[in-house]
Amino acid sequence: MIGLGYTVPAIISVLVVCVLELAVLRTGLFRKPAYWISMVIVFAFQIPVDGWLTKLSAPIVIYNERHTSGLRFPWDIPVEDFLFGWALVTGVLLLWVRQRPDLEDS
Amino acid sequence: MDRWQYLLLLGGCVLITLPLEFFGDGVYRQPMRLLRSLAPVLVAFFVWDAIAIALHVWHYNPKYVSGITVPFMPLEELLFFVVIPLCGLLTYSAVNAVLGILRGLRDKTADRSPQ
Repeated sequence: MIGLGYTVPAIISVLVVCVLELAVLRTGLFRKPAYWISMVIVFAFQIPVDGWLTKLSAPIVIYNERHTSGLRFPWDIPVEDFLFGWALVTGVLLLWVRQRPDLEDS
Repeated sequence: MDRWQYLLLLGGCVLITLPLEFFGDGVYRQPMRLLRSLAPVLVAFFVWDAIAIALHVWHYNPKYVSGITVPFMPLEELLFFVVIPLCGLLTYSAVNAVLGILRGLRDKTADRSPQ
């Protein structure tokens, strides 16, 4: 339970996404209500999907507990997964809002 | 059947979010924007995942994956990095569209109300 393999990189991924937005991309996404509403919805759906992937009774993904904090909530979801998921989805959203929409006919 | 579990889970995520495409400008209808948003993040998470697997931080239960592998990981894990952000984009796009509609309704009501 030293967390070096998962906890630390998960925290770093969140910091990298924040720095990317605040110092480089500056899209203003974090000030948009639509973003936070979306995050609540994504979070709500992450629980059943991730819960299924990580349930200890029949896990699809098996974690080496030496590399996690050992905190699993809700159900058996390692809390690190929420950082991982947030960085993944927010990273793509940041690039999405930074770009102009594709042309209507494309 | 069990070995399709991870793949079916991802398929379910794609299906359940598919109707969101019909709100606003959609995501699938903007393939180049989607590709440019997805690719850099996909590469970063693919590298992270490959390192984590190599260092035995996590692994996949052979009972619940198809057995089809891409370099360093099961096919399902690579697809995860496409499917989950796609669900996020569709959600965001739909939420924006719904907020836009609500704003339109509110403005219309405001226009109609006596000054």
